[in-house]
Amino acid sequence: MKLKRRSQPPPQETIVSLIDVIFFLLVFFMLVGRMDATAPFEVSPPVSTAGESLPKGGTTIAVADNGALALDGEAIERPALLARIAELLAAKPHLFVRINAHGEARLTNLLPLVTALEQAGVGDVVLVVTPNPA
Amino acid sequence: MKLARRKRNMALITMTPLVDVMMILLVFFMVTSTYLDLDMMPMVQSEAEGVAAPSGPTPTLLIRIAASGEARMRGRPLTAQTLATALQAQPRARVLILPSGGANVQGLVSAIETATKAGAENLRVVRLEASE
Repeated sequence: MKLKRRSQPPPQETIVSLIDVIFFLLVFFMLVGRMDATAPFEVSPPVSTAGESLPKGGTTIAVADNGALALDGEAIERPALLARIAELLAAKPHLFVRINAHGEARLTNLLPLVTALEQAGVGDVVLVVTPNPA
Repeated sequence: MKLARRKRNMALITMTPLVDVMMILLVFFMVTSTYLDLDMMPMVQSEAEGVAAPSGPTPTLLIRIAASGEARMRGRPLTAQTLATALQAQPRARVLILPSGGANVQGLVSAIETATKAGAENLRVVRLEASE
């Protein structure tokens, strides 16, 4: 005698566990990532193992290898940059400025800028370095 | 005659659109985040201003960075070894880095790294004014 097996409905895929996985991935990427505005030009910071850990926050000035400047991801000329920094400084006296300079940028494009920032009253300027070359 | 209304199953909450939303958020954060491992070197520190300069003349060790990016001290190529030896002879010496404007940022950072590794504490970079 042949017994007819009752056809069962196919088991529902558990979507709920998939949501859990994606949620964990989402939280992981939110924690690991750093939300920075990227400069409109190529910047590969100089390599050094003597750097200290970079705190989050602050304002980022990017310097390209040809001396082009960008403030928080937007290309800007030097006078406008200094005016903007003065504005930011008026709003927040303890401004933290990170200079993300290309490793091949000439120091004539960097050091006078640091001097100008210091004269403008910025008390905390750091140079971004990377511990391992890209 | 009363017709009994058939009891309908409660509609299941559909989870699929939630997965879609999560997926879009995930892709957004993956694309907009940067994952570079970055460090920093202080250039201007307001706390450093408060440190009283030691009385009396301070011996100074001068490191020059040529336009090629090569660092030299006392006419010889700078190494952590030679600087550490010089600092042992003059423990209170301050280290002054005089870069050529033509040198690149990597040259300056390498010189600072060497000086830091040699144990220099009072380290300063001479900043040239812009010649415009």
